[in-house]
Amino acid sequence: MPGEAHASRSTLVEPLWLRAALIVAALAFLGLFLLLPLTVVFVEALKRGVGAYWNALQEPDALSAIKLTLMTAGIAVPLNLLFGVCASWCIAKFDFHGKHLLITLIDLPFSVSPVISGMVYVLLFGLNGLLGPWLREHDVQIIFALPGLVLATIFVTFPFVARELIPLMQEQGTEEEEAAIVLGASGWQTFWRVTLPNIKWGLLYGVLLCNARAMGEFGAVSVVSGHIRGETNTMPLHVEILYNEYNFVAAFAVASVLALLALVTLAAKTVLEWRFGHELAATRRGG
Amino acid sequence: MGLRLSGISKRFGDYQALDTVDLEVRTGELLALLGPSGSGKTTLLRIMAGLEQPDTGSLQLHGEEALGLKPRERGVGFVFQHYALFRHMTVLDNVAFGLKVRPRGERLPNAEIRRRVEELLRLVQLAPFADRYPAQLSGGQRQRVALARALAIEPKVLLLDEPFGALDAKVRKELRRWLRGLHDEMHITSVFVTHDQEEALELADRVVVMSQGRIEQVGTPAEVYDNPASTFVYEFLGQVNRLDCVVDGGIAALAGGALRVATGDPVQGPAVAFIRPHDVTLSPDPEGPGNVLGVVTVGPQARIEVGLAGQILEAEMPRDRLAQIGLRLGHRCAVQIERVRAFPRV
Repeated sequence: MPGEAHASRSTLVEPLWLRAALIVAALAFLGLFLLLPLTVVFVEALKRGVGAYWNALQEPDALSAIKLTLMTAGIAVPLNLLFGVCASWCIAKFDFHGKHLLITLIDLPFSVSPVISGMVYVLLFGLNGLLGPWLREHDVQIIFALPGLVLATIFVTFPFVARELIPLMQEQGTEEEEAAIVLGASGWQTFWRVTLPNIKWGLLYGVLLCNARAMGEFGAVSVVSGHIRGETNTMPLHVEILYNEYNFVAAFAVASVLALLALVTLAAKTVLEWRFGHELAATRRGG
Repeated sequence: MGLRLSGISKRFGDYQALDTVDLEVRTGELLALLGPSGSGKTTLLRIMAGLEQPDTGSLQLHGEEALGLKPRERGVGFVFQHYALFRHMTVLDNVAFGLKVRPRGERLPNAEIRRRVEELLRLVQLAPFADRYPAQLSGGQRQRVALARALAIEPKVLLLDEPFGALDAKVRKELRRWLRGLHDEMHITSVFVTHDQEEALELADRVVVMSQGRIEQVGTPAEVYDNPASTFVYEFLGQVNRLDCVVDGGIAALAGGALRVATGDPVQGPAVAFIRPHDVTLSPDPEGPGNVLGVVTVGPQARIEVGLAGQILEAEMPRDRLAQIGLRLGHRCAVQIERVRAFPRV
């Protein structure tokens, strides 16, 4: 009955003024705390014109910071993809002692302050650290170098992929894998042909989040980096240095690139959801 | 010989899922593993498939020891209770999966794989649905895809876990008949798990009744229904009355001696008599020991509840027969029992 449907719908709908008020409140909040700061970044960066903005980015130290950030994320994210898939595979598909401990460990980086995780690496790999003498003997530098940055980033961003995949894989269960194995597939074939296709959207989503965080990480990286300009400064660290030197245009120029990278990540995620939304829902719903 | 299991035991923690099970599955037969949930039937099926390893015992597949073999080396087809179709693949790709994952040397050419899959889809009457995804199919259709997928690898043994469990009654009945027809055509050694006695009795060549990790009885449907080996089988298969009795010299005295029925069971003393409702004959008799407490007439059969010395006995007779003899609520009646199985009272 169209009349009934109409009536029941109108009982579920709030009055117009309340809807308007809620929408305005939400938009105002978003505008004030998200959109405005983002705009300020770009406005400040372009304050002295496009030329100054461009020059600030051409600065060798800035270029080096951008390169270092991309390199760190480029190493940390694929590794975390690998670790995340392994960990969620173990947790979701097998029963073993210490499973809960493993889940707790995966969450650890979320609960520990990034600064502390950075300190831990210094205590482990630093000159006076636990492994320091051995590392020095073998001429391996971890702290104040790329390996340290990568390690700290991996630690901080570890939960993103695993957290995204564990519930998804648990919900999907093991029946499809069992079916594949009975049908003659090897473990490797089962993973590539059955497990991975079922988790690919969740995995991609986790990787995007992981990447966003990897590029933006400040605390842990700050401790292990040593802030050597042009060498061990990532973009967030470089922004801070420039800002502290009152070089606002340069600081905001680098910040704008960082913000752009975040926006690209966000756009990629939105496009994925929009383009493959039904497929995403299908893999969650199951066959 | 198809499959031979001997001394199979399996524990999950404190729970004994299977307790020294011996079973033989004959080549070409359709065997039902019947039992309530928790009786170990699915575990037994999964052990046959290699999805579960028993703690002890041995399993022979066509005369060869098979416990050391991986699932894919056993040549079994497995149909999962919830089908476990690959959700991201079309029906065609689902059915082709087992053929496509073969090592390169054994793999058929793509055109040949396609031909075989299409043939299978015709067999399960799903040819028009080849390009659909599992989520776009009904339950009965998914079940048939699962079956076609299992058959694609030409298994020597087909294992089905509650194949009709998730379907509604009408589809279940159709699919059951269809599966029986398919089996009669292909004669592939098949084992299916079910908790539905009607399904097992109607479909299987032989039925294995299981309870608490043990096999209670193995036999043809008629054998297990007519000659249950234990009280469990009696109660699990069909309606049955339980009346206390005393057996003396092969005669069971029921209802305090008002009824005496010969029984062939080697029981002496206090016992429990198991009587099927259709083995009870009633006739109006003002002096009779029975008292009609209730009459239910739905369908062709009438069910009559008779009070008998403080216990209740359920009888069954055709409705027109009931009308003929004119037995009604509150009447007294004579009771005659054709068959009694007596088991010792525990």
